[in-house]
Amino acid sequence: MKKIIYYIAVGMIGAFGSSCKKVDNYAAPDVTLKGAVVDASTGQGIQTEQGSGTRIKLLEISWNSNPTPFYISSFQDGTYNNTKLFAGKNVISAEGPFVPLVQVDNTGKTIVDKSQTVDVKDVTTVNFSVEPLLRVEWIGTPVYNTDGTITATFKFTRGTSDPNFQQDISDIYLFVNSNKYVGNNNYDNRYSTQISYNGSDGNAAVGTTITLITKGGPLPGKRDYFLRIGARTSYGLKYYNYTDVKTVAVP
Amino acid sequence: MKKYTYIIFAVLLCWVSACKKLNTPPPSIVNDDDIFTNSAGIQAYMARMYAELPIEDFRYSPARGLNFFWIISPFSAITGEALSKDQNNAMQENLTFDSRPTTWSLCYTLIRDANYFAETLPKYASNFTPAQISAWLGEARFLRAATYFALVKRYGGVPIVDKVLQYPQQSIDELKIPRSSEEKVYDFISADLDYAYTNLGESNQVGRANKYVAAGFKSRAMLYAGSIAKYNSINLTDGSGNRLCGIPAAKAVTYFKAAYDAAVLLDGKFSLYKKTWAAGDKQAQYLNYVNLFFDDSSPENVFVRQYHYPESVHGYDAYNVPRQLMGANGYSSEVNPTLDFVEMFDGIPKNADGTIKTQTGGKYDLYTNTMDLFANAEPRLRATVILPGDVFKSVSIEIRRGIYTGSSAGGISPLLPAGSTAHYPTDNIVQSANASQTPYKLPNGTTMNPAGLGGYFTGDGTCAVSGFSIRKNLVPDKPTSEVLENRSDQTWIELRYAEVLLNRAEAAYELNAAGQNDKSYMQDAFTVINQIRDRAGATLLTSPADLSNVNVVRTERKKELGFENKTWWDMRRWRTADKEQNGAIYRTLMPFYSANDNKYFFDARLDERNSRYTFDVRWYYEQIPQGEIQKSQNLIQNPGY
Repeated sequence: MKKIIYYIAVGMIGAFGSSCKKVDNYAAPDVTLKGAVVDASTGQGIQTEQGSGTRIKLLEISWNSNPTPFYISSFQDGTYNNTKLFAGKNVISAEGPFVPLVQVDNTGKTIVDKSQTVDVKDVTTVNFSVEPLLRVEWIGTPVYNTDGTITATFKFTRGTSDPNFQQDISDIYLFVNSNKYVGNNNYDNRYSTQISYNGSDGNAAVGTTITLITKGGPLPGKRDYFLRIGARTSYGLKYYNYTDVKTVAVP
Repeated sequence: MKKYTYIIFAVLLCWVSACKKLNTPPPSIVNDDDIFTNSAGIQAYMARMYAELPIEDFRYSPARGLNFFWIISPFSAITGEALSKDQNNAMQENLTFDSRPTTWSLCYTLIRDANYFAETLPKYASNFTPAQISAWLGEARFLRAATYFALVKRYGGVPIVDKVLQYPQQSIDELKIPRSSEEKVYDFISADLDYAYTNLGESNQVGRANKYVAAGFKSRAMLYAGSIAKYNSINLTDGSGNRLCGIPAAKAVTYFKAAYDAAVLLDGKFSLYKKTWAAGDKQAQYLNYVNLFFDDSSPENVFVRQYHYPESVHGYDAYNVPRQLMGANGYSSEVNPTLDFVEMFDGIPKNADGTIKTQTGGKYDLYTNTMDLFANAEPRLRATVILPGDVFKSVSIEIRRGIYTGSSAGGISPLLPAGSTAHYPTDNIVQSANASQTPYKLPNGTTMNPAGLGGYFTGDGTCAVSGFSIRKNLVPDKPTSEVLENRSDQTWIELRYAEVLLNRAEAAYELNAAGQNDKSYMQDAFTVINQIRDRAGATLLTSPADLSNVNVVRTERKKELGFENKTWWDMRRWRTADKEQNGAIYRTLMPFYSANDNKYFFDARLDERNSRYTFDVRWYYEQIPQGEIQKSQNLIQNPGY
């Protein structure tokens, strides 16, 4: 009797010991995909807002011809970086405040397709050259006024000559925030100033020098403010195009 | 040997007598035969479908979805109609709350029920008259159309399922129905409602559709379709050329015409509620407008959802009653109309830019009572909003921000610079943090609480945070002991004739703007708007030329249908929501008592809580629940999600 118990015990130890050798048989994702979405004519990154602006769309076609898209949000300077992807064949495109890379006509036919089919492995870099809907540029640097406000001067121009993407100007915004992440998703509305246009009223402002002054009286002092100009048209999801971020130290 | 014979005989006997009926339907489950053979069964089937009809009624909030009791984040607090302590920003409908089914799946469940009804009823046709059959089939189509409308206004084009899907008879691949174009869905709704109009009778039980309900819904749905054709700028087209989001602009006139024609069908069948209305009598007009929401025999009610305590209830009174009349659950004042809403109405002193006038020459105007500012207010405004100091349930609702103790020599200057969201300076102002107040001794020796009984309390959001409280739909004579959650049972008016008239006016305006002149559309819009204004006690338009732009029609709609859970959908279909709510902060009106004057003054200001509203452009088409796409991979997600 005792012998049988021993046999069972030994058998169980053997079974336990030999099973569960491999906790997981698939390596953790370690592939990096990075790159930037840049303005085709200036070569600079397309400024955007993080989270609700530019995003990179991945369709992994290694297994399935109709995959669920996977998205990577870009940083606000237009670069992106994801270090935890699986290797695989992907159709990669980008969505954001620029002329769409993939365009479909009324009949469902794809008329423009600038997406890239890439074998993503190790460290892969994929860049996109695009035409922004608007190109927003600083004129000089923002000025801290004696009354405690800040004056920003800028202009914006059409980034594309394609009339299909030259919708009416919707609004322009001087975004102010107390940290460098500043844009429509993150700003202090007590100081940020906006001009909103009705219909086609804003189209005359294209290319002109525009000055916006922070609102709400003097800015509280002894800190830095981060400023960015956003402008957008009525096209599609109405993404903002931005300038880069400028810092103004308020004494 | 004989033994075997007996055994065989016994076995045979057992077999033959047993198994007679193995195929008996379980008696505890209701079957088609129980439902479709008598009109009581049909009524029960209908009752459930109507109960599940996806309308945004007393039990809807965007945070928690359809048909849920707890409405502390009111719908009107995302549209700019109201401020609420529990809803402080713009949002779209939450996909899921507490693992409740999504709106998407609730709608498709009901669509299946309607399809099942329409397919099964004809098999039992011998039990009923042909008139009954056709009316019920019409009713099923109405329910299906109303459900598709709930889907299309949220998601754009959705899969059209017009028959009962069978599994496993149909393969999974067959059941993965792709989305139809938005245009096709609206056309499908239109066809169903036409069928319902043709087949339904002139009248039906209260809370059920008749042919005019179908026509009224059609005017609503077609107006939405026309607006999207005209104002939408989002495009999503699938590989087969179906435009899932957006409708070709060329279709706008067709849809506006359909909306107009459907609205005209109700002409003469319904009328605006004017039972206790009297020309020139503001008090009578005000009471008439209050009563409109509580008179079951109102000729204005087109389609309603009834409630009845204790089996079918909601908590509208408990959540929204002024703080002063709070019930035992401790809820109150969830809906506090904004000053922006109030300023749309007539009869209040206004500045040149349309904002309320509370100052003269840089000094506050003084009033003996808070209601003096609203002495000539439009009756409809008083019936919609409890103004500070107005009477509700026989008590004066006290709304006061605080007591100003500073000198009043030469008048009182503005407490804050214009456009400020800062807190008030505390040096000359006494205020209360909550409802347990320390009375302040006035210079004349009497005492007064710093804040009114209805607020404003600086540390307790359960009060009139905007300086106003909601009146519309609050039962005017409900005892406070019954102001409890799940204790209200007033009727929800989903479609009233005023909306149909406004649909007609808007469609007429748009048709005229599109150059259509087969009818005198502007004259008709003018007549209709004036009917609404006349009943409301508002200033009438003097001529059709007063309809100078579309905002005249839209503002009238916002005023008339305020707090009836329609405005958000309107802002979406007009595609104005992202303009209206682009970092918007809404305005409030704060009444102060000046201790040295023994008089009130009002400060119009931006919401002190700095609640900021930004409508995300993506929300014009809501996100399709990810779980649905996993089940049916042919569904294409809406842009931006």
